[in-house]
Amino acid sequence: MNAPTTPIAVIAESPHGFWDEAWRQFRKRRLAMLALFYVEFLILVAILAPLIAGTKPIVCRYKGTLYFPAMGYYVPSWENPVFAKDKFRRVYPKNLKEKDPESWAVWPLLYQDPYRRVRDGEWEGQPGNPTGDSGKPSRYNLFGTNQSGVDVFAQMVHGTMVALLVGFVSEGIAAAIGITLGAVAGYFGGWIDSLISRLIEVVMCVPSLVLILALIAILDKVTIWHMMGIIGITGWTGIARLTRAEFLRLREAEFVTGARAIGVGHVSVIFRYILPNALAPILVPITFGIASAILIESSLSFLGFGAPPPNPSWGTLLSDGRRNLNLWWLTFFPGLAVFFAVLAYNLIGEGLHEATDPRLREAMR
Amino acid sequence: MTTYLVRRVLLGLVTLTLITFLIYGLIRSMPGDPVAIFAGSEDPSKKIKQEDLDRMRASYGLDKPWYQAYFLWVGNVAQGDLGRSISRKQPVTRLIAERIGPTLLLSITSLTLTYILSIPLGLYASVRSGKADERISSTLLFVLYSFPAFVAALFLQIEFAVRNDWLPLFGMVSDNYASLSFGGKVWDIARHAILPVVCSTYGSLAYYSRFIRATMQETLRQDYIRTARAKGVAPGRVLAVHAFRNTLIPLVTLLGLMLPAVLSGSVILEQIFSWPGMGRLFFEAISERDYPTIMGLALMFSILTLAGQLLADVLYAVVDPRISYQ
Repeated sequence: MNAPTTPIAVIAESPHGFWDEAWRQFRKRRLAMLALFYVEFLILVAILAPLIAGTKPIVCRYKGTLYFPAMGYYVPSWENPVFAKDKFRRVYPKNLKEKDPESWAVWPLLYQDPYRRVRDGEWEGQPGNPTGDSGKPSRYNLFGTNQSGVDVFAQMVHGTMVALLVGFVSEGIAAAIGITLGAVAGYFGGWIDSLISRLIEVVMCVPSLVLILALIAILDKVTIWHMMGIIGITGWTGIARLTRAEFLRLREAEFVTGARAIGVGHVSVIFRYILPNALAPILVPITFGIASAILIESSLSFLGFGAPPPNPSWGTLLSDGRRNLNLWWLTFFPGLAVFFAVLAYNLIGEGLHEATDPRLREAMR
Repeated sequence: MTTYLVRRVLLGLVTLTLITFLIYGLIRSMPGDPVAIFAGSEDPSKKIKQEDLDRMRASYGLDKPWYQAYFLWVGNVAQGDLGRSISRKQPVTRLIAERIGPTLLLSITSLTLTYILSIPLGLYASVRSGKADERISSTLLFVLYSFPAFVAALFLQIEFAVRNDWLPLFGMVSDNYASLSFGGKVWDIARHAILPVVCSTYGSLAYYSRFIRATMQETLRQDYIRTARAKGVAPGRVLAVHAFRNTLIPLVTLLGLMLPAVLSGSVILEQIFSWPGMGRLFFEAISERDYPTIMGLALMFSILTLAGQLLADVLYAVVDPRISYQ
């Protein structure tokens, strides 16, 4: 956008902008597009989780008022206190009928709860969840149940939000730190550069597990948000190195000299002039970083360093599966979920790489 | 070259000091006291006196603020003493020596397999570039590369050890190991090592094959390849001699960057398979707040990482005469 284009260059280049062209190239790659659809599907699942699997009505009319108890799955306090006051004890179907025969309700697709076992007779025609070792996948428990009888499918659907948030938030933090430090180092050079380069080197050399575990241990009560922050502040070095290299290259460009000459400030030059031109190669490791953040969170939860329960993270489900290897469904479905999420982001990153790197684009022809 | 090396080593020492200082500060600020953990694990009938605990704390520098204790630790390291483990009552160097064998067994086997398999795979992919079979195999390799190793480990454990009794579930040796003959011992360890080796190989195998293919494609576009083809060199020879020799450069540097991983092992895989290696030692040391061991291992990993980077840069200059560090 700010690149100096001589009239000849305008004729030679396609009339589309860089990102239009990149999107056109990206769309040609079937696997990358499939992966993009999958991530969009996951986002949908994460947002609509209480509508897919839950034991609370999406909408119900109770004693003349409309309520949305399923909102309680997002934030517990969004569940109207009237149900606690009327002693529903989290079991809606029977209580609604008993306490107000006039009531009606719209239910989630599946009557299953990610936090507790569904008992016998709670839902008409549906037996209680099996416990112990007998929770094989069935028509009521699509992905089986764990030893205490909690439905695995419901836990996975509700855990989608965690996986996606971990990817976006922690990689967002990493990108913010990495781009800022890398840009400052590359743009100013000199002692600022050597200082930041040393910092990058130090953080890269510290075994990431020490860093992550020490930070987790220092915190008193680890929540999933802490985990995202920790993964973010340990995972920015690759982005910083790449940004630095791009800035080292671009700061010598004529449009930067031009901008400086007409009196544009340093901050503005960095973020409004150079960064848009350096963004394409940086976006690729960011996408791969989302995949690795999901991987790190699930492996930490798997090792038992994750957020404490109730935390329906896929990694927590996997650690449950490891304790009961003979119950294969406890490992199989969450394992595949982690795999597909990682694969999708890697495919998107690969597609982005091929779509934005002109040398690779040539190779495809 | 010598000045370059001296400068790099000096710079590396500064970085090393910063790293260890940072790690020391971090682990000392973790809640939990290794002496208390140790005392709690001892026989409860033997009540340890408060003076003894205090003496233990003092001997590990735990009674001083961490920045003072850090210099105590640095002084000992400078004299070649990594200290004694608090929870295991053994010198850290001996602990590392005990654990490095199993880790090397896994990582060297896996590294060798990776190189043996990925070079032909990568060459095959670059010969058949763009054809249907290459596309399918490359996609499969990418899928494999994205498969999380710990998930694969669990799947393999279920299939090979739980549902079928083909391979042992975890550990490095069976219970009756001591009574086995020499051949039986080798076979026993090999059987235990199969699953961990597979899990630590397939990811890097996929990565290396893709890497070789990418660099080969880059090389095959060079002018000298066209020249070789034009003068009538056989296609196979162009590939193996003219092109592949040049893809060796990035492959060699990759080897340098692999160095820390070879010796440090994988924490999560060793944990899943209860493999008595470095990664597991590290994990246990962190849970036991065993400062001397954590510091010893962290020092080793950092030195290896820095040395690996230096080695990569030096090898780069060795295999590619165009690069010099004058």
